[in-house]
This record gives sequence, structure tokens and C-alpha cells, in this order.
Amino acid sequence: MKQYQDITKDRELLLGLARSDDKSLETIYSENFPVVLRMILQHNGSEDDAKDVFQEAIIILYEKACEGNFNLTSRLKTFLYSVCRHIWLKKVQSTYGLYSIPPEMEETIPATEVVDEHSTKDEQFRIMESAMGSIGEPCKTILEDYYIQKKSMQEIADKFGYTNAENAKNQKYKCLMRLKKLFFDQYNTSL
Amino acid sequence: MKEDMNLLREIERYLEGEMSGQEKAVFDELRKNNPQINRQVEEHQFFVQQLQHFGQRQSLQAKMDHLHQQLDMPTLRKQAQDENQAAKRVSIRRRTITNLAAAACIALVTSLSTIAVLQNAAKNKSTAQYEDVRRVLNNIQRSQNALINDINNKKKAPVNPGTYGGTGFAVSGNGYIVTNYHVVAGADSVYVQNNKGEAFKAVSVFEDISSDLAVLKIADSTFKSQPLPYALKPQNVKLGEEVFTMGFPRDEIVYGKGYISAKTGFNGDTTAYQVSIPVNPGNSGAPLMDAQGDVVGIVTGKQTTSDGIAFAVKSAHLKRLLDEMPKDKGMKKEIARKSHLEGLNRIDQIKKLEEFVYMVKVYN
Repeated sequence: MKQYQDITKDRELLLGLARSDDKSLETIYSENFPVVLRMILQHNGSEDDAKDVFQEAIIILYEKACEGNFNLTSRLKTFLYSVCRHIWLKKVQSTYGLYSIPPEMEETIPATEVVDEHSTKDEQFRIMESAMGSIGEPCKTILEDYYIQKKSMQEIADKFGYTNAENAKNQKYKCLMRLKKLFFDQYNTSL
Repeated sequence: MKEDMNLLREIERYLEGEMSGQEKAVFDELRKNNPQINRQVEEHQFFVQQLQHFGQRQSLQAKMDHLHQQLDMPTLRKQAQDENQAAKRVSIRRRTITNLAAAACIALVTSLSTIAVLQNAAKNKSTAQYEDVRRVLNNIQRSQNALINDINNKKKAPVNPGTYGGTGFAVSGNGYIVTNYHVVAGADSVYVQNNKGEAFKAVSVFEDISSDLAVLKIADSTFKSQPLPYALKPQNVKLGEEVFTMGFPRDEIVYGKGYISAKTGFNGDTTAYQVSIPVNPGNSGAPLMDAQGDVVGIVTGKQTTSDGIAFAVKSAHLKRLLDEMPKDKGMKKEIARKSHLEGLNRIDQIKKLEEFVYMVKVYN
């Protein structure tokens, strides 16, 4: 009964996370970070490692939550813990090559699938990040404002001092085409 | 360039649902007919998705960084370190306990096996020190046997000299003979032979393994009963008392003289004496007599580690054994009578005694 309740609470948190509810994120973050910190420190990691690993796990969780078809079967804590473990294990193995896996690092819940799925998305994110980094201003801000912040063309025109929304829109398309080119050039070569 | 931008604008309008019904229908048609445009539409859709995803992730990252800043890192760090140390200590303690348990088990096994080995060795040693003095008769010369047979050609004595031999002596006039249990143990048939060379078939009627005694009955029609000249001495004899024995370490009766050297037998056995007397294989079951010619014991074995030390079961024990014997065996209790040998010199005593001392031959 208790576990059932716990999972219900965790599911609510997950829904909150998908809605980008800051409160849910904060709860998840503050409740789970200490455990992961402890685990990473125990396995020769630093605090920064713990932060990176944990945030990556949260991102995975977020992606999963946004997809909508993610069914949380274990407690959130367990899920995050095993995902973090897996990420850290991978990191350690890739860094030290033959570093032997401590037996206690054996996974409690297999998180391989989740993490592997994530790595594709992560790759896409990196490409987009570098593309966005290289188009320069004001394209970057215009595109962010329009596509991410969902501001209207009028607002953007006002912000950047365009005479009308149509001009701003033209500028936006130019930027978009450049970004698309940058993105797909890299995306297609990386595939 | 211009066319591309126009197409992009159209695609965006299409995807964002800004087109009117008619425009949309036209565009759908275009998509269907022109795979290149269709591909561009899909590509754009994917791209916008990526872009949004990027934004979401960036904002999430920013939020998380913000949250992380708010965390009380020093406290968390301390907690984590403390917990890790505790966990390490527990695991070390657990490991120590496991190791200790393993060590204890090994120690226990080692000590137990050492004890077992030592005890076994001690037992082996003591059995090695003690030796039955029955005789293995395999190498008795045939000629001697043949000579005996020749003399007693009327008798039914087997030509085969037997496998083992010992000594026995009569405890009643009607053919009951006492010998050692180890002499007749496992016997198929037993023959007794007196010094005159007369052999009689005998059967074991009573055996007492613990005191190593056996009572045989002569089951032979040719045997004639005669009264015993000696008695069984019921009391224990004194230390140092002079004793003598007569036995068959060879095919001839052999006289031996000695004294009681201890009141207990091998390993402190209270039912036996230690006797300083020369005994040899074949002396087992021989009577031990005191100077009056009374039976005080039965020779059973000797200590191998030192010469001249033999052991004899006390006559008191034999008497008790005979009393315990079932009454229906038909043994006459005439043994308790006074000895007829008292006052005679040793040579005369021996002369009278030797008729009642038998060589026991065992076949198996």
C-alpha cells in the first residue's frame, strides 16, 4: 500500500516535470541529488561529476515524461539511481578503458535501453547547440524568441527595431535557412 | 534563394495551420505529387521539433543549474562523506567478520582433525604394544607332526597342524577347558591335544570377549574324565608372588617361571595382572600357577615394547565367568576343592599338571 502511494506521488511529480512545473522539478532535484552525489563520490567521482550525471538523468527523465508513453514502474528514486549508475559506469569505462566494474555497481534495474535511447537525442542536441552557437546574433535570438519562447513576430520586430513584422519575418526566414543548413550538414554527416 | 524562402514560408504556414482550406488542399496535392517538397516539409517539421527540444532542454538545464546553486552543497558533501565512511566501515566490519568466521572454521577443523589423528595414533601405538601370544602354526614341521601322528596312530588327530595354536587348561574333570577368546575367535573347528599327544575335538561353549576368555568343551567320546589336582584361587595374589606357567609355544609343553610384577594389566586393566615371565606365541590361554599349584590367572598377551612383560587375566575373574555360565552346560563345580599339589616340589607339580594342560589347535 505504502509503495503504491509512493509511486502515485512519483507519477504526479513526473507529470509536473512534463508540464515544466518548476515546483516538481525542484522536488525531484532536491530529493534525489544527495543519493546520487553519495553514489558518485563513493565510486571515485567528483561533485561536478555528480552534478553532470544527475542532470543528464533528469534530462532523460524529462524526455521520457514528455513522450507521454512512459510508464513509471519503479519508484522515481530507483529509476534515477539506476540511470545515474549506468551513466557513471559508462563514463568510467570510456575514460579508464579497462577499469574493472565494482561488483556493487551491478545494476539494480537495467537502464541500458533508456540511456542508449537518450544518446541519440543527446547527439541531436549537441548538433543543434553547435549550429545555434555558430549562426551568431541577431539570428540566434530571433529564432529562439520565435520558436522557443513562442513570441509573436510583432514583438520580435519591436524588440529588434524592424519597421514591421513582415520585415522581421523575412529576416527570420533567412536565419532559419542558415540554421537549417548548418544543422542538416552536420546531422547528415554524423548519421 | 527567393524561391527557397517562399517555399519555406509556405511550409511554415502549412505546418502552423495558417493556410485556408483551399490553400491547404492545393499544398497537400503538391506534397503528394512532388516528393522533394514532401521531404522538405518533413524535414522542416523535424527541424522545428529539434529546435523546440533544444529550447526546452536549455531551459531545463538553466533551471537545474539554478536549483543546483540553491543546494546547500557543504552540508550535502559532509552528509555524503559521512554516509560513505559509515558504509565503508560496515563493509569492512562485515568483511572482517567473514574472515574471522572462516579462520575460526579452519582452526576448528584443524584442531579436531589433529585430535582425531593423535587419538588414532595413540590407539595404534597401544595396540602395537600389546600382542596376543597365540601361535601361527603354519610353519610347524611336518616331520614332527607326522611323528606325533605315528605315535598316536589310533587317534583321529588331523594331519593338518592347524592355522593357529594356543594353550588351554582343564577347569573341570569332565572336559571343560579354558583358553583365550582370541585363540578360538573365528574358528571353524578346534582340537585340543595333551602332552601325551592325544587329540580331542572340542567346541567353544562360552566366550567372553571383554576379558578375552573362552570355555571349550571336549566333544570326543574317547575322552576320559579325571579329577583335577588343582583349584582356582579366588583371592588376588600379592605383588611379587612367585608364579609359573606351562604352555605350548611349540609342540612340546614348556615350563616358565616368573613373578607378579603389577596388580593391573595392560593400560591399567584391573581384571588382569602384569606378570614378569617369558611368554611366546602359543602361550595364550596357559594357566598361571602359584607355588601351591593353584591357578591364579590365564596368560593372554605380552607387551611388545619391552621383554618379559606379560599379562594374565585374574583367576577371580575366571571364577566369576564360570559362575555366570549357564547351568545347563553340565560343568561339574569340582574346581573349588583344595589343591592336591600343595607341598609337592615343582617337578612333581609339573608332572601332575601337564596332563591337564592342552595345546589348542584352531582351524579356519
